[in-house]
Parts: sequence; C-alpha cells; structure tokens
Amino acid sequence: MSATVEIPGGIAANRASSGLQVEGEVVQRVVVDRSCRLPVLFFFAAGLAWLLLGSLFGFIASFKMHHPEFLADWSWLTWGRVRVAHLNMVAYGWASQAGIGVGIWLMSRLCRAPLRAPGLTLVAGLFWNLGVTIGVAGILAGHSQSIEWLEFPKYATPLLFVAYALVGIWAVLMFVNRRPGHVYVSQWYLFAAFLWFPWLYGTANVIMQAFPLKGVTYGAVNWWFAHNVLGLWFTPIGLAAAYYMIPKVIGRPVHSYYLSALGFWSLALFYSWNGMHHLIGGPFPIWLITASVVASFMMLIPVLTVAINHHMTMRGHFGRLAESPTLRFTVFGAMIYTLVSLQGVSMAIPAWNKITHFTHYTVGHAHLGMYGFFSMIMFGSMYYIVPRLVGCEWRSPTLIKWHFWLSAYGIILMVLALSVGGFLQGAYLLDPATPFEYVVKSTMLFLQSRSVSGVAIASAHLIFGFHFALMLLRLGRTGGEATTFLSREVRS
Amino acid sequence: MTLPILLIVLVGFGLAASAVAALYWAARNGQLQDFERGAQSIFDEGEPVGVPTDRVFRRRTRKPKSA
Repeated sequence: MSATVEIPGGIAANRASSGLQVEGEVVQRVVVDRSCRLPVLFFFAAGLAWLLLGSLFGFIASFKMHHPEFLADWSWLTWGRVRVAHLNMVAYGWASQAGIGVGIWLMSRLCRAPLRAPGLTLVAGLFWNLGVTIGVAGILAGHSQSIEWLEFPKYATPLLFVAYALVGIWAVLMFVNRRPGHVYVSQWYLFAAFLWFPWLYGTANVIMQAFPLKGVTYGAVNWWFAHNVLGLWFTPIGLAAAYYMIPKVIGRPVHSYYLSALGFWSLALFYSWNGMHHLIGGPFPIWLITASVVASFMMLIPVLTVAINHHMTMRGHFGRLAESPTLRFTVFGAMIYTLVSLQGVSMAIPAWNKITHFTHYTVGHAHLGMYGFFSMIMFGSMYYIVPRLVGCEWRSPTLIKWHFWLSAYGIILMVLALSVGGFLQGAYLLDPATPFEYVVKSTMLFLQSRSVSGVAIASAHLIFGFHFALMLLRLGRTGGEATTFLSREVRS
Repeated sequence: MTLPILLIVLVGFGLAASAVAALYWAARNGQLQDFERGAQSIFDEGEPVGVPTDRVFRRRTRKPKSA
C-alpha cells in the first residue's frame, strides 16, 4: 500500500530521511489527507466564492444604512433583500461549507481512515450550492420568507435538505467504519453537529413551511431554529476544529481532557433551550422565556470549560502565535468564543435585553460570533489543511499576515462601533422624550465606521481568495521546507 | 396537521434518546476513562507530543540564513 502512494513534490526525500520507524504512520496520514482532497477543496473553494460575494452584499447593505439612496432604484438591490441575501450567503454559502470541508477532513483524520464514499460528499456539495444559488436568487427576486435564518424560498429548501441529509449519512458511514481506538472530543462535536443540523432544518421546515403552525408558536419555533443553528451547528464545528488545531500545532495535549468531555455534554444538554431568550418581552408564556434565560446561564458551564481548557493548553506556548498562522487565527477565534458567549449570556438578562434588543448591538453580537469566532477558526483550519491536500506550502506569509490583521482589526472595529452605537440607540429609544429622528441621526457615525470595517474585512477576503487560488493552481512553495506532512524536527 | 406534529415530537424524543444512548455507550466503552490517553490520541510517532506542526512564519525568517 505504502509503496504505491505518490507523494507530492519534495516530501518523498524527507520521508526517506525521517526513518522507517515513523513511515507507516506518515504514509497513513498522507493517504487519509489525499483521500479527502477533492471534496474538501470543493467545499472550501465554493465557500470562499460565497464569502467574497457575501462580503460585497454585506458592504452594500451596510452602506445603504447611512446612504439610503445608494442602489435604491432597482428592487433587486433594495436593503430588505440585500441584507437577507448577505446573511444567507455567508451563513449557508460560506460558513456551512467551510465547516463541512473542515469537518470532512477532521473526521477522516480522527477516524484514522481514508474518506469513505467521496462521491456522496461531492453530490451533497453540488446540491448544497445549487440550493444556495436558487435560494439567494429567490431572495433577490423578492420571494424571501419572513423567517429569520430561514429566508430561502420554499422551492430551495428541499435541495438544501437533500444535501444536508447526504452529509449526515456520510458522517454515520465514517463513524461506523473508523479504526478502533479512542473517540476524540472533536469527533463527538462533529458527529453531533452533522446529525443535529438535518434534524433542526427538517423540523423547522416541516412545522413552519410545509404544515405551518399558527400564532406565537411560529415565532417560538423560528427562534428555536435560528439560535440552534448557531449553537448546535456552527459552534460544535468551530470547537471541534479548535480542540484539534491548538494541541496539534503546539504539540501538546489538551490541558484537561476531562473538562473537554464535560464541555461537550453540557453543551448538548443546555444549548437547545436557549432560543427563547430572543423573545424576552414578547407575547409568550413566561415559563418559556424564564426556562430559556436559566438555560442561557447554564451555558456558562460549557463556555468556561472550553475557555479554561484552551487557555491552559496555550499557557507557556503563546510565543508560537508568531510562527503559526493556523494558531493565530484559531486562538483568536477561541478567545472570541469565550467573549461572545459571555456577551450572549449577558444579553439574556431581561433588564439588559430591554436596551439591546432590536438595536445594532445585536447585529454586533451576531458578527462577533459568526465572524470573530467561527470564521476565524475556519480560516485557521484552512491554513492548516490546504497545504496538506495540495502538497505545497502557502506562497506568502506576508499575505497571511495581512489577512489576519485586516480581519482582526475589521471585526474589532465593527463590533465596537455596533455595540456603542447600538447601546446609545437602545437607550434613546427607551426615552420617550427623545425624538426618533435624533435617535436615527445619532447612530450615523457608528454605521459609517461599520462600513469602514466592512472594507477591511472584504479586503482580507480578497487577499485570502487570491492566496487560496494560488494554492489550487499549485503555485505555493515546494521543496524540503514544507511542513505539509512532517514537522521539521522529525525530519532533521 | 396533528400527524406532522406527532412525527416531529417522536423524532425529537428519538434524538434525545439517541443522545442518552451515546452517553451510555461512551461510558460502557471506556471512552470516559483514562482521559490522559484520550488527549494524546491525536498524536503519533510521526507527529509526537512536543513537536509543533505549523511554522509557516518561522521558516521564512530562517531560510535566507541557511541558503
């Protein structure tokens, strides 16, 4: 088996010099990595395409907030459609696909087995992109559903569900056929995410679209779904990647593996109760909201276990942030995870929610989670995974640094602007003496700042897209220096 | 109308039951024992504990010196 494996440029020599002792392991890792090359690169490339387009739409939506006349003459590009298109492009086009790509690679590595049924994942990818394309076109044409996070028109939903069910079936196949041994915490997170999402998506669509519920239950199901997409789909994938990447890059096992198991099971237990805290103050039974607020506070357990674990794992190794792009993005994302989760808990406090609800503050929180946490960890994982799939190293560390700093400063500026602006907006709106026009005008500076941050973030994505395209074309650096399959210490 | 609701509730219970079953399996299978070894399962002889695996920025600064 090992003799027939063709190992990309420059690595063969390293392998020979690394000694026979490690050869079996190395070849196995190479086989596993290579087996998932096509599907993973497909999901990454498609995800990045949606990210670039989604960033453009996000910028248009942001610019319209302070220049409402911008592109306002064409119904397809009016604010109500552009914002929704942005959300769905980045959530389902970019974030979900990056997550599936990272998930496929991680599952294969952690199952210590080559990818099974690659055709299944590719068909799922095609269906998924077809669904997102039709859905976004439908939204721009004005067929959007008035359900947050489920705005795709009815005719796009079955395509997405088929794609998603295929990914779920694939995950079961992989898990059942894994090599014997320990099931690592990342695998728990991934396997759970891959099974939870089809359930969430299927349930929400059956009782909101196919056989719609009536009255306030409709709103309750809406937020049960929308919040669980974040907590039971994106969060587990992001944490799975962080739990693998951080120890792997610094070469040190997770500080407390016990805590990681506790974190997983408490997330599984508490998260799905959280959604109703979006409905504080709404016409809902008070026990429903109260149970959700309590569950939101219980989230402190999984959040703090993850925070303590990652911090203690990193302790004494923070210097490595200077060497590894993967670590830089992943640790940034992991820190933001703690921050955004604590912020989320605070926003479930009714007194604070009264101010922040329905303001730009919530928008800032959403971006902090989906971008600062999830997307940054996905970037970090892609910096680790892509060289191992294409067999060459990233062309330019300078481009990676620009990507990191533009993204990091961009998201920090965006969240600061929206948090301060949103707080002022909320406080003014609660004061009947303040004229509405004054409230709107007072947010102007913050909205303009948000557009500036959008330019920074979009530039970061252009840089990353360009760099990724170079990697796809095998224009990365090759030769004995590659970290792709062996680290330099073992080789030398 | 009641049939889909019934189905949804049953699937929900099924999922919750599967989570309990998974936890039970994990405990019986020894997945929740010997955490020390579990944490090390992502390392092997090729990429052992104590060896970093991603040093893109570092290599750039070293290269001119050795070349």
